[in-house]
Amino acid sequence: MKVPFVSLDRQFRDLQDELTAAFQRVGASGFYILGEEVERFESEAAAYCGTRFALGVANGSDALFLPLKALGIGPGDEVITCPNSFIASAWVIVAAGARPVFVDAAHDYNLDPARLEAAITPRTRAVMPVHLTGRPAAMDEISAIAARHGLAVIEDAAQAIGARYRGRRTGSLGTAAGFSLHPVKNLGVLGDGGLITTDDPELFGRISLLRNHGLRDRDHCSVWGYNSRLDALQSAFASVKLKHLDAWSDRCRQIASLYRGGLEGVVEVPRDQPHEEAVYHNFIVRSEQRDRLASHLQEKGIGTRVHYPVPIHLQECARELGHREGDFPEVEAQARTILSLPIYPELQDEEVAYVIESVRSFFA
Amino acid sequence: MTEPDRTFLPRQYEATSALDINHNYLPQQFADRDLILAKIAEVVARGDFTLGREVDRFEDEFAAIAGTRHAVGVGSGTDALFLSLKALGVDKGDEVITTPYTFFATVGAIVTAGARPVFVDIREDYNIDPARIEAAITPRTKAILPVHWSGKPCDMDTILDVAARHRLPVVEDACHAIQATYKGRSAGSLGTIGCFSMHPLKNLNVWGDGGVATTSNDGIAARLRLLRNHGLLNRDECAVFAYNSRLDTVQAVVARHLLGKLDAITSARIAHAAYYDERLRSIPQVIVPERDPEVRQVFHIYVVRCQARDELQKHLIAHGVDAKVHYPIPMHLQPAAQEFGYCHGDFPVCERVVGEVLSLPVHEFLTSDQQDRVVDLIERFYAGTTR
Repeated sequence: MKVPFVSLDRQFRDLQDELTAAFQRVGASGFYILGEEVERFESEAAAYCGTRFALGVANGSDALFLPLKALGIGPGDEVITCPNSFIASAWVIVAAGARPVFVDAAHDYNLDPARLEAAITPRTRAVMPVHLTGRPAAMDEISAIAARHGLAVIEDAAQAIGARYRGRRTGSLGTAAGFSLHPVKNLGVLGDGGLITTDDPELFGRISLLRNHGLRDRDHCSVWGYNSRLDALQSAFASVKLKHLDAWSDRCRQIASLYRGGLEGVVEVPRDQPHEEAVYHNFIVRSEQRDRLASHLQEKGIGTRVHYPVPIHLQECARELGHREGDFPEVEAQARTILSLPIYPELQDEEVAYVIESVRSFFA
Repeated sequence: MTEPDRTFLPRQYEATSALDINHNYLPQQFADRDLILAKIAEVVARGDFTLGREVDRFEDEFAAIAGTRHAVGVGSGTDALFLSLKALGVDKGDEVITTPYTFFATVGAIVTAGARPVFVDIREDYNIDPARIEAAITPRTKAILPVHWSGKPCDMDTILDVAARHRLPVVEDACHAIQATYKGRSAGSLGTIGCFSMHPLKNLNVWGDGGVATTSNDGIAARLRLLRNHGLLNRDECAVFAYNSRLDTVQAVVARHLLGKLDAITSARIAHAAYYDERLRSIPQVIVPERDPEVRQVFHIYVVRCQARDELQKHLIAHGVDAKVHYPIPMHLQPAAQEFGYCHGDFPVCERVVGEVLSLPVHEFLTSDQQDRVVDLIERFYAGTTR
């Protein structure tokens, strides 16, 4: 049996008719930039996340970058985030002109709130917790500390659309949130795409300007801006998929629970706290024999990945930040032992069983 | 602040289908979208959504058109400009010389790169006046960014000469100028880097945002490829903190579908422009676009200068012709430009021209009947005002 790590074609097969209809509708309209399709998806996404506003942008990186710019964060400022994320989480801070300040992760891979306060300096402007793997960060603790220090909280929700924290959806838990709609995400379009949510009308207004050249109207530019728009075509695809998202998240949680049942005691498996509902963008297990386990699974035809083998603070691009090995021991230890197993709604029970059996056979 | 506008729509997307003769011809252009859909289905079956084979092929084909060794697909024309400046090392404290008569993105890209735009007035042909560039160069100047406005290449020999004397790279804003040529050489191959937009209303267009940067410099091309994709050397190693600005694979499919039609699109636009020239020449209140035998103008827009422009525009729109102004307010007088300290009178040619310019529909699906109607309406308008 072959179990690919990602299999986007399966979802496309299931949705082919709906996506084709969307393609035909947008194609025939001749309206490909902003407009009705984008606005429709934006209202659906805002309603889904429980926020007043949602804005479609070009990709998940821009979905984090634009809120930082809209908050006026720039040179001389610091923004706190995690070193165990996709490179874009730190990059957007650098792109805004600010300095990323890292805080080690807790055992659940998310920013450790107990270490947050020590990282705050007079230059800190915002905290950007990552809801890694689709599990919400410890938002109550983070928000309380942020409020005490007057910091904005921007959720890096790139992997976490649909997840809930004390009943509320990610995207509605901070000042603003950025989602990625990259094809492999839980809500993925057929190309690059991103989404910003916020309740703040001023922030919404500023981001609306920034994503479209700073244009107040066709002829007046109030601020030099960017070009970062979610294509109308991709918005139409996103609308189609959003209708299925909750069912997909349920299925991912079901797969996670199958994995847990089959692998408990064999490898370390993630679990939900009672107040969180993770959406399992990734299902990460931990083992001291990670590399050998990965090769074993590969021989069995099972695709796995490591999210992420080199923490951001040890990347070549981060040299100027002056970190070294040992700065974030929890994240560094995780990087050596974590392995992501295949998880997507279309994964069949037999495939899950085969993955479980293959992991178990490695340790047998 | 009150409830903000949901979304600002470029005007071409608001009224367009209410008019008979307009700038938006996309439903016609994509009448054969089933062909594109079939090709997209193949991409989807391969799960090949980010960069990948279709983007590689498109880039090779595009480089052949631009006459460069490399073409790099990016998120938009704006990002093509911005990433080019970053690839050349433009940063805080630097200056980039450009024209005040352009779309906002030209300046937005310079500001985003951290630099300060330094404007130079234009000539009557709407392009930067090369004779004025040298006076604008300072020790902080890092690049010259001429815009091939409307699809007419700038006077590149003079610009390149000034640039060479001061060892400055030249980034061509060729967003309007695919398949345009200057003394036989293609726009996009004339400077250090060329930047193209494939916005839905460009001559080569996709179904959303898309852009291309062209260059024959291997090092710059490699740098651009790094910068557009998070600075990633591979999945797990990041060489430099960088951007996410990729041409969607799906859009590369649309673009490749159109590449085969590009010669026909360009020829049709040139023919329509020639037809307008011919008929409009007899109207004394209208000045047709300046021609230069050494360049091939591809007419992304057909811009005339005319008397009583605002009234004429209203008259044309009232009669179903989507006449537009690209653009009424120069960059140096925009609210966003206040920080640069320019004022009225700084660029007299540009400031005069923006009050006179009018763009007439010139897309490839225009018929000669429609063109005749446009010209008849203009004739009648001036006959009325002179009566």
